Amino acid sequence: MATQFHELRERLLRAGVAPRHVRRYLGELADHLADLTKEEQRAGRNLIEARSAALVRLGKTEDLARAFLEQRQFQSWSARAPWVMFGFAPLICLGAAYLLACLYLWCGWEFFLSGADTPFGTLVAPTNSLANMYFQAGKFFYYSAPVLVGWTIGIVAVRQRIDAVWPTVGLVLISWMGATARIQAGRTAVPRGLGHISMDFFILGSPSQTISQSMLTTFVIFTLAILPYLVWRLRRAFVGL
Amino acid sequence: MAARETNPSFMNGVPELLILKLLQQDEMYGYEIVQAIRGRTGAVIAIGEGVVYPVLHGLERDGALRTRRKKVNGRSRIYYSVTPTGSRRLAELSRTWVSLTTAIQAMLMGAQYGDAIP
Repeated sequence: MATQFHELRERLLRAGVAPRHVRRYLGELADHLADLTKEEQRAGRNLIEARSAALVRLGKTEDLARAFLEQRQFQSWSARAPWVMFGFAPLICLGAAYLLACLYLWCGWEFFLSGADTPFGTLVAPTNSLANMYFQAGKFFYYSAPVLVGWTIGIVAVRQRIDAVWPTVGLVLISWMGATARIQAGRTAVPRGLGHISMDFFILGSPSQTISQSMLTTFVIFTLAILPYLVWRLRRAFVGL
Repeated sequence: MAARETNPSFMNGVPELLILKLLQQDEMYGYEIVQAIRGRTGAVIAIGEGVVYPVLHGLERDGALRTRRKKVNGRSRIYYSVTPTGSRRLAELSRTWVSLTTAIQAMLMGAQYGDAIP
């Protein structure tokens, strides 16, 4: 992408235009600029003069930005409804990830521990067994889900040049949800039945975790989840991008 | 090169009208559209050329235009053409524009006659 459009790109992204619209606009402007430059060269100008004349014909950055910003329909959801994108959607995504984790757990329970009343603490198998690897993979997914959702929030915020407030709100919410997630599984209600898996969230303090432990876990998840966003902010601060 | 300034308050809706009219005849990409407008209006209507793209994108978003990518001389270009919705919009805009210009012309002519009356 032509470097002369860097300022325009930043202005549009900061004003809340969706990145895909910005990318297409700048792509077409770059093509247009190339055509104008060729036209000016054909008229007898050298490359530098032709380029300069082409830029004038293309329009000032301010005019190009204003023309696009007047079209309100190109605003991203992050700009139009940040509370949805950074408050609600991450919680839904994390909830969906936990639903998948529960399904995965239930499948493993049925397949590897079909006689057990609960999938927790009942597996007696060598470390390198398929059953052990299966449950370890599930555990990894379960614990990494909030961090992965947090990284996604960070990447969206970086791509769309979102200020820190909403991404931070989103990260706090998913860290809290992740730290307080509790999963229960049992077959006792219906002997030899399909089994029952349930989860609860957002309750600070429980028989298995004190309030301070929950808060510490929230902090750890938040720290890991905010890393990509933090790195980008620091990079911008130091490099001046 | 000094760009000609066009009074923006008189330009509301004009680029849209001209673009739809041009594209009704043939599909074009952005640079072609601007050159065609420049050529057919005798450069009377001159806008920052890059400003045409937000109008094109807006019309596409409204369903008045459709696009397709086409490779020309090794470059991928986005060609725009009018949809049936765009044709209807063109007809509406044309009617509005014609009635507006007729009214303005009548007023200007009236003023001339008025000035001539002692």
